[in-house]
Amino acid sequence: MFRLVTLQVLQAAELTIKADRQHQKTVSLEGARGAIVDRHEKVLAMNMEVPSVFGVPTALESPAQTARSLSPVLRVRTDELERKLRQDRGFVWLARKLDPEQGRRLEHLPKEGIGVVMEGRRFYPKGPLLSHVLGFAGMDGEGLEGIERRYESDLRGERRVTILQRDALGRTVFPKGLTAEQSPAPGHQLVLTIDEVIQYIVEKELEAAVTRTHAKSGMAIVLEPSSGALLALAVNPRFDPNSLSTLEPSRWRNRALTDAYEPGSTMKAILAAAAIEERVMKPNTLIYGEQGRMAVANTVIHDHEKLGWVSFAQVIQKSSNIGAAKVGMELGEQRLHRYLQAFGFGQRTEIDLPGETGGLLKVPREWSRRTLASMSMGQEIGVTPIQMVAAVSAIANGGVLMKPYIVSEIRDAQGNVTKQVLPHVKRRVISPETARTVTQILEGVVTDGTGGKAAIEGFRVAGKTGTAQKIDPRTGTYSASQFVSSFVGYAPADNPKLAMIVIIDEPHGEAWGGAVAAPVFNRIGEQVLNYLGVSSHEPVRLAMASSRS
Amino acid sequence: MKILAGAAGLCLVFVFVWERVDIVRVGYQVERLKVEKVRLERERDQLRVKFSTLSAPDRIAKVATERLGMTPPQNGQVIVVQARPTGVPSPQAVPVQVRVASNQLFDGRR
Repeated sequence: MFRLVTLQVLQAAELTIKADRQHQKTVSLEGARGAIVDRHEKVLAMNMEVPSVFGVPTALESPAQTARSLSPVLRVRTDELERKLRQDRGFVWLARKLDPEQGRRLEHLPKEGIGVVMEGRRFYPKGPLLSHVLGFAGMDGEGLEGIERRYESDLRGERRVTILQRDALGRTVFPKGLTAEQSPAPGHQLVLTIDEVIQYIVEKELEAAVTRTHAKSGMAIVLEPSSGALLALAVNPRFDPNSLSTLEPSRWRNRALTDAYEPGSTMKAILAAAAIEERVMKPNTLIYGEQGRMAVANTVIHDHEKLGWVSFAQVIQKSSNIGAAKVGMELGEQRLHRYLQAFGFGQRTEIDLPGETGGLLKVPREWSRRTLASMSMGQEIGVTPIQMVAAVSAIANGGVLMKPYIVSEIRDAQGNVTKQVLPHVKRRVISPETARTVTQILEGVVTDGTGGKAAIEGFRVAGKTGTAQKIDPRTGTYSASQFVSSFVGYAPADNPKLAMIVIIDEPHGEAWGGAVAAPVFNRIGEQVLNYLGVSSHEPVRLAMASSRS
Repeated sequence: MKILAGAAGLCLVFVFVWERVDIVRVGYQVERLKVEKVRLERERDQLRVKFSTLSAPDRIAKVATERLGMTPPQNGQVIVVQARPTGVPSPQAVPVQVRVASNQLFDGRR
């Protein structure tokens, strides 16, 4: 009786704590990271539980033998495993986040001194597809790059410390076990505006162009002009986010957002919009081409073609630097700067991806005597590819600048929409009439000008070529051999379904944007319009097709 | 009377013990089902990853071109026809989009 009173009354509190320590286990749990899917629910990134293997060196009798049996399954060298297993420690990781297939092979191995725990591993089932946009998550499941990083707080599962009741064998026992209410909530799912098929087409054609031209790299962006939704964003060379260990950090950077370049003649599309909106020019205004050579502020501006009197529309179509410089001078510093700002240059587009830079747009008081002419033809200004395609999209969109975006919806684990992103109008930059006029001029670039190779049979295409000399880092002057070739445009010109920029960095051989980047626009545009089911403008052709099919 | 009270008390003890034992039994059953649920969820996720990997556009294109001898449709081989359903003159009727694949090009090339 005395013993009973001692245990149940006098030592009750102390013994209760001791008992709890023995049959309760405190564990830190984390909900699974949310998946990332494209606009058609195709999985681009998701979590899967895979085995991680740890060793208990103090409980091992023969570390060498254990290391030998584990080595082929874990794909870790025997001597490395043995070194870990010989440490005077109670716990050591041997291999983390193995493939499911490795996990199955583990079942046949001896368990003495070895333990397996399941951990969430991030899988990117499409491999390198969209890698620069998706980014990747680290070993501990935290987003390190791209969307994984930008939307870390949404994607990450809930972290919770909970108490489990266990029996003498260590098994979890009801009722104090983990209930549904106690389980940590999984992370949210992101729905992107990206279409994986369009992304594939863009990456395939970009890679082919980079290989064909022996270029250093390439970039391409496709977006929907009416909403600003990104349909594809590709940077070449790509990387596979499933193989983190083989990645070079320089390959991760999404240069379509982070790197500013001198756009060259593609900027003339913006210049044309500003000049027409300000009524400084009409498409048929005549401008003298100075026979291909004009002095500006103790320097000389050249054209690739000796032009005499040409219309303003021809200045853009033939990509005359001298003509563009004269139009810029007519506009003046303040007005040109104002339009460049209005179109979004010198500031971030605020796209929902990390690392975006605002490019470089000097204020007029910092301009030299040559800057006005230079900027009119796309020099002395740094723009990012996303800025340029967003600006040209504004022309395609009747003069309204949209904010580009890539995540359209966020859903919780039950599929309920917690956030829906709607297209966001930034501002009107030019009138609808000006947009129509500029579109006609830009169509002329493709039908009669430098962008002929961007033409897509059956569709009206508007766009502008660009061939910009790069700055030679050794001399600080424009290089005669290193160029950035580009094409930016939209189609169908009368009802744009896509706007696109293609940039090929340092192509070898012919470097004109019209020869290098325009054909890529054509190939991507043709396939994407076909995929989107956009009707051709050629009714006769359709009638012929109907009669045959 | 005492015997009756004793029997009732004993019954109560039995009921209490049985209830505790049954709770533990059901607890183990629940845990087994939870383990099974986790296993099935894991399998589902594995299949989802496998499906996504196998349905990747570059793999499909590779299989189509290399194994099945298919080629991407050339310009003019896919025709998109917007048509309204017949007998429904209402302007609100949803146009039907038909994509017709032809193995013949318009200029007679194959």
